[in-house]
Amino acid sequence: MTGKKTLVAAVAVTLALGAGTALADTAAKKIALSNNYAGNSWRQAMLKSWDKVTKKAVADGIVAEASAFTTAENQATEQAAQIQNMILQGYDAIVLNAASPTALNGAVKQACDAGIVVVSFDGVVTEPCAWRIAVDFKKMGAIQLDYLAKRMPKGGNVLEIRGLAGVFVDDEIHAGIEAGVKKNAQFKIVGSVHGDWAQEVAQKAVAGILPSLPQVDAVVTQGGDGYGAAQAFKAAGRPIPLIIMGNRQDELTWWKEQKDANGYETMSVSIAPGVGTLAFWVAQQILDGVDVPKDMIVPFLQIDQGNLEANLATTEAGGVANVEYSLDDAKKAIASTK
Amino acid sequence: MSTAMVRIRVLLARPWIWSFLGALAVWLAAELFTGGQGAGELLTATLSFAVFMVIVGIGQMFVISTGPGNVDLSIPATIALTGAVAMKTMGGADAMILPGMLAALAAGAFVGACNYGLIRLLRIPPIIATMSANFLVMSTAIAYGRGLKVKPPPLFADFTTAQVAGIPVLAICTAIFAAVMGVVLHRTVYGRSVHAIGQNRRAARLAGVAVDRTRFLVYVLSATFAGLCGALLAGFSGGSSLSAGETYLLASIAVVVIGGTSVAGGRGNVPGIWGAALFMYLLEAMLNTYGAGAGLRLILTGLIIILVITIAGGDRPQR
Repeated sequence: MTGKKTLVAAVAVTLALGAGTALADTAAKKIALSNNYAGNSWRQAMLKSWDKVTKKAVADGIVAEASAFTTAENQATEQAAQIQNMILQGYDAIVLNAASPTALNGAVKQACDAGIVVVSFDGVVTEPCAWRIAVDFKKMGAIQLDYLAKRMPKGGNVLEIRGLAGVFVDDEIHAGIEAGVKKNAQFKIVGSVHGDWAQEVAQKAVAGILPSLPQVDAVVTQGGDGYGAAQAFKAAGRPIPLIIMGNRQDELTWWKEQKDANGYETMSVSIAPGVGTLAFWVAQQILDGVDVPKDMIVPFLQIDQGNLEANLATTEAGGVANVEYSLDDAKKAIASTK
Repeated sequence: MSTAMVRIRVLLARPWIWSFLGALAVWLAAELFTGGQGAGELLTATLSFAVFMVIVGIGQMFVISTGPGNVDLSIPATIALTGAVAMKTMGGADAMILPGMLAALAAGAFVGACNYGLIRLLRIPPIIATMSANFLVMSTAIAYGRGLKVKPPPLFADFTTAQVAGIPVLAICTAIFAAVMGVVLHRTVYGRSVHAIGQNRRAARLAGVAVDRTRFLVYVLSATFAGLCGALLAGFSGGSSLSAGETYLLASIAVVVIGGTSVAGGRGNVPGIWGAALFMYLLEAMLNTYGAGAGLRLILTGLIIILVITIAGGDRPQR
């Protein structure tokens, strides 16, 4: 009975992968997700996407197991211990969203030495033996200024909301924004606060700096902070500037309300939490013997005035606009990197 | 010595005065930079956000006042959970505001009761018990809310953001609330019991103080206030979120200590919490106004807090 099932599954997988590729032998492989944090809507969406896509992959017999593990404290030491446990548990691949780009390198190297495929995404690691599915965060900052330049050719005062201090994603997006301001010199950053990618923190920080600022024409953000900024402007009785959003459902909903009420126009950009599912398929492909380049860049998800409604409709309440990857999407992404 | 001098001396001997002086100094420093522009607006913003720190700070103060080792680290998760409970119960309907508030308070009280259960029945030190409770409650919040952001009912959102002549209505309510809690702390048998336990638990027990009941109540009180904060914060910021309470863990302890409450217990202080909450918010706003980078801002925050505590801590050794 079981043997038959496995055989059917193997045949199905082989068919799914197409005749040209090597024989699919990942049906017995175990993949683990090592995740450092779960306490915000983006991470919740990421885990949900992972659960949805990998459950199907397991049911389809493509892999044997794809469990997700999240550390409690968002600390590199804890995650290193978690990775060591995964090595002992005999996983064939570890998909990793890392607490630190460097602090986990030791544990990652141990995993590689044990013959385990390590694919890092979003929070990538620098250890050369691991694969990296990174987002061009610099560009994510720079395009915000390019958009502003299109909307306000004469320029204006910009408030920057940064992310969590000390995290490299924050430094990268910030560098992109700085480069954007240099390129579009008609814009001036009049204030900068850390919003920690959280509405409450952003609202608090923006409310504190607003009284000291001249008129603010635009707000550049890193995602998860746009709605909080809007609340702070509203509370201060100031005109709402052009606030770049970050694909969160509450941000998109607010944008939609403003759009309907007064034609408010902006754009929204962030990484789709489903990038975790791309990392899963990449790990599966590597296990399958496919040659995958060590560094891949994934596009970010941009929402414009025109496709706002469509994106809002597919984003669940409290979630983040998302794109989940199928095996075919992953294959295309790999092929385009080669 | 003139009577004015005596008055000033008496005032300076109050442990809470320093947090207010600190807040004033930081506010003036911020205004120095902007040339007085937006001075009033900054105060409005400060009052709006200080309210939440004061509410959780008062709860934390009661816990810390019961003596060394007593602290409530479950506040952040309790805020996240109760915010979600309040918003989900209200479901955006004005008629459900009261049930929503009560549900949030009840959820908070339940967390507090569990905290003390861990401390008393399983004999786990409070710092560990409440920290583990924080994980448990956070997991519950994640499972319960799934990161869902439910909007507050319009009436509730209006109430939590309303202002009268630049003064947030919530700040006025919280001032009254703080005054009541001040009376509870200093003028009731319960408040006296909290102090007695904080000074010497054994002596308090021998003197007939109901130590267990009093300690049970401080943990319930602290978590219930976190519940109040969670519900109001969700209304104020347009919905609940998992990360809503994150900044309130250390802030709740900092406002208590800066406010002049003794970390060793036995000496609580309510007005100081207000001063410290204003100070903490103004400090960050001031450093942001000056354009200090994140690193510098953290260093200065640390140094300035040490400075204020050192100046304020000029009280005589107790024995």
